[in-house]
Amino acid sequence: MAEDTGPEGSEEQVSEAQIAVHWREEEYYPPPASFVPQANADDPAILERFAEDKFPDCFKEYADLLTWDQTWHTTLDTSNAPFWKWFVGGRLNASYNCVDRHAAANPDRTAIVFVPEPESDEHVHISYADLLRQVNEFAALLRDFAGLKAGDRVTLHMPMVPELPVTMLACARLGVIHSEVFGGFSGAACGARIADSGSRVLITMDGYYRAGQMTDHKVKADEAIAAAAKEGQEVDKVLVWRRRPGQYASQTPMADGRDFFVDELLPRYAGQTVEPASMPAQAPLFLMYTSGTTGRPKGCEHSTGGYLSYVAGTSKYYQDIHPDDVYWCMADIGWITGHSYIVYGPLALGTTTVIYEGVPNYPDGGRPWRIAEQLGVTIFHTSPTAIRMLRKVGPDEPEKYNYRFKTMTTVGEPIEPEVWRWYFTEVGKGQAAITDTWWQTENGGFLGSTLPALQPMKPGSCGPGVLGIYPVIYDENGDEVPAGKAGNICIRNPWPGIFQGVWGDPERYLSTYYRKYNKNPDSKDWHDWPYFCNDGAVQAADGYYRILGRVDDVINVAGHRLGTKEIESAALTVPEVAEAAAVPVVDDVRGRVVEIYVSLKPGYEPSEEMEDKVSKTIETVIGKIARPRNVWIVTDMPKTRSGKIMRRVIASVSNFADVGDVSTLANPEVVESIRHHVQAAKLAHGEVPRELTEAEQAEIKAFGAE
Amino acid sequence: MGMTQQYLAGELSVLLGRVQAVTTTEAAGRQAWSLRVAAEQGPIQGLGWVTVRALALIDRLCWDSLNRGDIGAFNRQAAAGAALREFGVCSCLLRDT
Repeated sequence: MAEDTGPEGSEEQVSEAQIAVHWREEEYYPPPASFVPQANADDPAILERFAEDKFPDCFKEYADLLTWDQTWHTTLDTSNAPFWKWFVGGRLNASYNCVDRHAAANPDRTAIVFVPEPESDEHVHISYADLLRQVNEFAALLRDFAGLKAGDRVTLHMPMVPELPVTMLACARLGVIHSEVFGGFSGAACGARIADSGSRVLITMDGYYRAGQMTDHKVKADEAIAAAAKEGQEVDKVLVWRRRPGQYASQTPMADGRDFFVDELLPRYAGQTVEPASMPAQAPLFLMYTSGTTGRPKGCEHSTGGYLSYVAGTSKYYQDIHPDDVYWCMADIGWITGHSYIVYGPLALGTTTVIYEGVPNYPDGGRPWRIAEQLGVTIFHTSPTAIRMLRKVGPDEPEKYNYRFKTMTTVGEPIEPEVWRWYFTEVGKGQAAITDTWWQTENGGFLGSTLPALQPMKPGSCGPGVLGIYPVIYDENGDEVPAGKAGNICIRNPWPGIFQGVWGDPERYLSTYYRKYNKNPDSKDWHDWPYFCNDGAVQAADGYYRILGRVDDVINVAGHRLGTKEIESAALTVPEVAEAAAVPVVDDVRGRVVEIYVSLKPGYEPSEEMEDKVSKTIETVIGKIARPRNVWIVTDMPKTRSGKIMRRVIASVSNFADVGDVSTLANPEVVESIRHHVQAAKLAHGEVPRELTEAEQAEIKAFGAE
Repeated sequence: MGMTQQYLAGELSVLLGRVQAVTTTEAAGRQAWSLRVAAEQGPIQGLGWVTVRALALIDRLCWDSLNRGDIGAFNRQAAAGAALREFGVCSCLLRDT
């Protein structure tokens, strides 16, 4: 068994208990034997095909999954780095790739199965031929009635119904850029996105079922339009799909001349076809808004050719989608997971994709497994939050139903090993390969995952970078961090699925994702532009990554996640405080507690009254749970030469951990002074530290990285 | 998280809409609305804080309803609070205690 090597190079003997815990956490699960021979990626040669010496042409393999009107002449254009252009010269249509070509080859194959939330309602099977007809007719409506053309933006605010992919594909057919807002968001949120995208048309639905109730959704359209108008954006037309034809599910009246029922307009376009617009590969396909760390949500602009090829390729190799599969992703199409892995990826591969309207546990915890059994679902995809919820409400439900998943994907957050194992043994019945994926709205598709037939699963880890993705972990200074140490995970290279920019704000794209680790702002060489993911991570010796959490950190106190920025902001409302930095301290009872370091403005002296004032202010502004265990008043904070407070240094002091290299600080001498002051006081108060585990040390070292 | 956790903001927004629907005073309604805006427009890292504040709001509403003898309002508020708490625990915005 490996011996642990401490930071000073000394060897420590590992106890049997530690070995048992270590192996339980780190055990590998091979793919089921029956899975491997049928897998799309069953030959290790694929890893060589996507090795770095084959970049960027390796991605031709993904692009070749699509039908192009015109082949590209340049795989990757870096002339305007980091605004990458993929498959330059290529032209295609996303709607054609997802619908027409499959309707021609297999018209009767089911494209979409709609499962209404009311369990008494019939499932609706839409063949590729049906889908083609519906997309054509709606595209004709959008073009001729709504006056939409290529390059226009349209906002969709729709729930999980088949009319949503029909609308998206109709937009794609015309080259219209769609921007779908999650159906559960308020009208105000929708309005803000209408304004930012400059949409003049809103497409919505009257209502939908959620948790057993018909929800009035149309009411939000009026709120959205009012909110957009306040920001100077007028909406000319609201197209309203009706959940049940002939019935109106809303209390809100339709506005004459502005609001129109789609089902009343569609007969005018019955049987019409619209030629799919041949779009440049770089043409925006859609906008997807995502929260930032500061400021308004930003519209991530995704391309047509690069994005579609990437989601098709990752769907094929990582979820192992074959055309004859029945694939069910339980996410909402309002998020990037739904765009990539309910609509565009699966339909590009010509498979059957399931759209379920409602909540997973309606009417009970067995509902997902009944759906899986009824439809013969072979591939399942959901989030750790949903897995935890289903495990909570019905841990024994899966075994009651006769279904068989060959692969299961998880996405959205790191999944703890205990929950992973329930997912594997109960939901997957020990027979499915799990792909635990890591990626972001900005990426278009997976960045980290195991190839299900070729790389063993490891609970709690997303695995290595996916094909053609070359991650690296940097410290604050841009130096590469060795395996076992935490830092900021970046992607060294561009990839086809990466977003093309922030809509209307190129500076935000540069500053948020590239400026931090850029080596030369004038360089056209992609090597000089690592993409900053804004996530912390550790790479294990086997090359697998464990994602630790966002670099703007959150302190988890007795189950309450407290943002450090909120705590510091509260402290800064005290007039005497100049600077504030909140850090986590390991606590065996509460998990973590908060300590806050403050420096005072000139003319003020430290005192117990001042400490109490800071503490009480935080409690008042945020709540009792945020009250810091200690307030440390220091003469100065350890800072980088650019003036940023080095939170990991003071977090290490509070935790009696190694502060690491401080030679690059602007004021390294302050560290020893703080350490002596804080640790002497803690010891005097009986706060005896215990040795941190490796994971805790990694967490503290990664804390506060920006 | 940098990871695609935007859906947590969405689910929380829906639940906060439910909280807003069961408030019984204008001030509470405004507070619920503010929290919903924070969930929709703010950073993902703030969601835990929003959840804690929302639970505190529901707690106050429940006590107020009990004191007034409004059992119907209490039941609706308690149900909204329970759904919010369950989501908070399952999404790791809260720890199960």
